[in-house]
Amino acid sequence: MTSALRGIDPSRYVVHVGFLLIFALFAVVLKDDGFLTSTNLLNIAQQTAPVTVMAVGMVFVFTAGEIDLSIGSVVAISALIAATVMREYAWPLAVVAGLGTGIGIGLLNGALVAYARLPSFLVTLATMGLLAGVARWLTNLQSVPITQNLFNNLFGAGRLAGIPSLVFWTVAVVGIGHFIHRETRFGAHVHATGDNARAARAIGIRIEQVRLAVLVISATTAALAGLLYAGRLHGARYTLGETDLLTVIAAVIVGGTHLNGGIGTVTGALIGSLLMGMLNNGLILMGLSVSEQMMVRGLIILAAVALTLREPNR
Amino acid sequence: MLLTRRTIAGLLLATTLLTTLPAMAGETIGPNGEKATPASALSLTDADKAKLKEGSHTAALLWHTSSDFVTAVTAGATDTFKELGIEVVATTDAGFDAARQKSDVETVLAKQPSVILALPLDPVTSAEAFRPAIASGTKLVLLSNQPKDFAAGQDYVAIVTDDLFQMGKQAADALAAALGGQGKVAWIFHDAAYYVTNQRDNAFKETIQAQHPGMTIVAEQGITDPARAEEIASALLLQHPNLDGIYVTWAEPAEGVLSALRAAGNSTTKVVTLDLSEPVALDMVQDGNVAAIVADEAYGLGVAMATAGAYGLLGKEAPPFIVAPALTVTKANVAEAWQASLHRDAPASVLEAQ
Repeated sequence: MTSALRGIDPSRYVVHVGFLLIFALFAVVLKDDGFLTSTNLLNIAQQTAPVTVMAVGMVFVFTAGEIDLSIGSVVAISALIAATVMREYAWPLAVVAGLGTGIGIGLLNGALVAYARLPSFLVTLATMGLLAGVARWLTNLQSVPITQNLFNNLFGAGRLAGIPSLVFWTVAVVGIGHFIHRETRFGAHVHATGDNARAARAIGIRIEQVRLAVLVISATTAALAGLLYAGRLHGARYTLGETDLLTVIAAVIVGGTHLNGGIGTVTGALIGSLLMGMLNNGLILMGLSVSEQMMVRGLIILAAVALTLREPNR
Repeated sequence: MLLTRRTIAGLLLATTLLTTLPAMAGETIGPNGEKATPASALSLTDADKAKLKEGSHTAALLWHTSSDFVTAVTAGATDTFKELGIEVVATTDAGFDAARQKSDVETVLAKQPSVILALPLDPVTSAEAFRPAIASGTKLVLLSNQPKDFAAGQDYVAIVTDDLFQMGKQAADALAAALGGQGKVAWIFHDAAYYVTNQRDNAFKETIQAQHPGMTIVAEQGITDPARAEEIASALLLQHPNLDGIYVTWAEPAEGVLSALRAAGNSTTKVVTLDLSEPVALDMVQDGNVAAIVADEAYGLGVAMATAGAYGLLGKEAPPFIVAPALTVTKANVAEAWQASLHRDAPASVLEAQ
């Protein structure tokens, strides 16, 4: 028993414990304020769905030792393109167009990083700005409403057996992401590339392909997040996703993924994302002023990051 | 993330509103052509107040951002609610993000507020965001913007807004007064689809063109990021060194424009802008470049919103479109204007320099 426990690295579970502690705290403090109602808990789950989906993509990017700053702009573009296509055509084509846009952008980012050997930070910083401009230009700053209800229900507003469709998307993306990241040869290659690229190359891993692939995964999840926002809001707007980048990065890091590569966890990112959503929700229900909400949220995230990422004996 | 400031306050991508609303008529009119009712026309009797106090009502404030403007509106609303025995149970800031605003609506509904005061970010996407609030029976009072297909008296109690056209017009009149009705002017406008800034900017331009024949707009420059105002203004001054006046869409970029003027050693070009800010007001009272600032009665907007919310709770019919007046602030009236707009004293630096 003791030896079995000795094999567990407690720092890996700090975010889970932190999540439970904060959940318990809100449950007690806000027991009369609707926090524990199923409606509210489902609210948290569906509100965090787009961020969780993007966080899954970002875990791959971080694990490979790269970063993708362009995800927020991809959200807006894919949502706007899907909404625009839906004005004329059936929704499946719009979904293909939206996701295709994400894949295309991912290929562009990935090719510049993997084959032109440019740093991902600078490449995606540039494409972030470029794509934000395109998103503004695309519909001349106008919002595009979506009236195809099947799309809106599937991607955002619908429910099945009382469970919001966004929860199903979250479960599916986290499940697939976790499996690929942990259980497949590709996942192992991503880890190896981020851990030590030279060693990975020496043992025959094609690190260029890995780098290209993680940036395609990240942009594709961002495009999916764009579709989820569009379905949820029954429309798209050029500002969608604009403020999500830092939330996604925070969720991924709080979840235990390292910025330097080699170490990452998809389920941790899910917990990180839910933690962010729960904090937003609980602090509003506490009746705090906006300034107080920001301060408390900042302090809690700081504590979570410190506990998760503290490196002993450094 | 760049749009963190107050002026963008009213914020909205007004696909519908931009074409139907205000400016063209030369006055501020409602989204469906409603005539504006002044905020001062709202009133509650003692019996109304007593009834409200018995109701143990609650309210939530769902703002689009955090700023001086929002703080003053919040203060006006909170003070009024307090007087009526209505408790404010939640306050949110959507950071100009329509998706986050939807989340905020869902979250505060867990507390079942009787009234929600909010600035919907965008007519298209906000409609979906606020629908759950209407379904739950919460009374909705909107600031500046109307979600698509929402009807006054049915989906919401009233829209309360600045007198946007007047703000732009008064800025034009103030600049004309400072320049003796003659001169070359640059127009620095907010280059985004935001209802409030768009209306104000266009009202300035229209007024110059229609009512001040001696003045010409010789340069038009859009701005999206206030932090870039200084470099934009520097380039503008390089191309048009003989500018007599500059209109700047709101106070924060105006601070950058002032920096550019100072760097160029220009003390003659006059500046007008909208919304109060300490550095801009200080320049004005020290006889710098700033000729006038046009502000709104932000605190009064909050009072009007809370009062309209009370109308909704009492089942009293509220006017559908309520407007708070615009104020032209000059060196002469800065102390009183600060009180009227933000319901607090002007900063000490401004009062001392006056």
